[in-house]
Amino acid sequence: MSGLLAAAVACEPARLSHLGTLVQVLWQFLSLSLFSLGGGNTLLAEYHHLAVAQFCWLTNTQFADLYALAEAAPGPSSMLVGLLGLGAGWREGPLWALFCAYGAEAAILLPSTLLMVMACLSWKRLELSPWRVAFERGLGPITLGILFAVGLKILRTADTNWAGVAVSVLVCVLMLRTRISPLWFMAVAGVLGGLGVINR
Amino acid sequence: MTEPRPSLSELFWGMLQVALSAFGGGLSAWSQRIVVEQRRWMSNEQFLTGLTVARLFPGPNQINMAVYIGAEFHGLPGALVALAGMLLLPFSLLMGLGLAYFHFHTIPSVDRVLAGVVAAAAGMALSMGFKILDQYWNDRVALLLAAVVFLALSLFDQRLIPVVLIAGPLAMAWYWPRRQSNP
Repeated sequence: MSGLLAAAVACEPARLSHLGTLVQVLWQFLSLSLFSLGGGNTLLAEYHHLAVAQFCWLTNTQFADLYALAEAAPGPSSMLVGLLGLGAGWREGPLWALFCAYGAEAAILLPSTLLMVMACLSWKRLELSPWRVAFERGLGPITLGILFAVGLKILRTADTNWAGVAVSVLVCVLMLRTRISPLWFMAVAGVLGGLGVINR
Repeated sequence: MTEPRPSLSELFWGMLQVALSAFGGGLSAWSQRIVVEQRRWMSNEQFLTGLTVARLFPGPNQINMAVYIGAEFHGLPGALVALAGMLLLPFSLLMGLGLAYFHFHTIPSVDRVLAGVVAAAAGMALSMGFKILDQYWNDRVALLLAAVVFLALSLFDQRLIPVVLIAGPLAMAWYWPRRQSNP
């Protein structure tokens, strides 16, 4: 445990203005792109690993905040990657941060986009191929396992008091049982946070 | 009947319209309404095929759907233009919010509200696995695979890419379509 703490203290934010770091980061995002199964949320725990543990751009709390921000804002929640880029470049000024944000989003989208274009062009042949059938059936259960791991990771990262955990569990149940917009849950929970009922 | 194929700029504005309409949520319902019913670029059947492809391949579903729509008419340039149309406004808005966050998040009252919002967002993340659990409930091999993957990631703290590279081929071999008994 003390070794872990020492590592956390020694963790220096990786600067994207260093070419070596930039190439390493780009490579990580480009390769993760092809592993975003089941709609992209499967990558959340990897994003946490990169941004908090490996490159030290964000604290646990900041990561949780940015995740919530991406979920609350309109548009696909995978735009979180842009926020991570923002966090990576923030120390070197807002303009550089925005540049990193657009770059990070482009890197995470480019490989899956290219693959998707190829898939569209050859779908007629792919559709009946045994590879497609095996891929679809086989990757489903793996996605299931990843999503549970991601859910647990985010819950741990949120790291709220017991009232917060109770709200998380309640929201989870309501997400499954009702069709209420999640924006309502975030609004009500935000008020509970403001009142000090939920804290961390 | 479908209308003639859209030009690149029509694609861009159409996807921008989808993104704007979906500001309250329901992105894929809005893209169906606009692309199929309103602008009649493709038939409902074509659209549903797109959803299948978008879900199957890596990448966020809604973004893959934009790629499908663009690629259907103009290949790679069409895909990039549709993607830009769909993402430009929401992404810029989110980056504005992000910059505001890095400016203001140390203010105690902001942090308190965020703690609450984070608790709700964690609940949303937690629900993702349960949402698709039903369809695998009667398949013991699937549940075993999911459990092994979950343990590898959560308990043994392995990284996603090697886990998928090992579990993926094994799962594909197990689920490879069996040959029919009649020749």
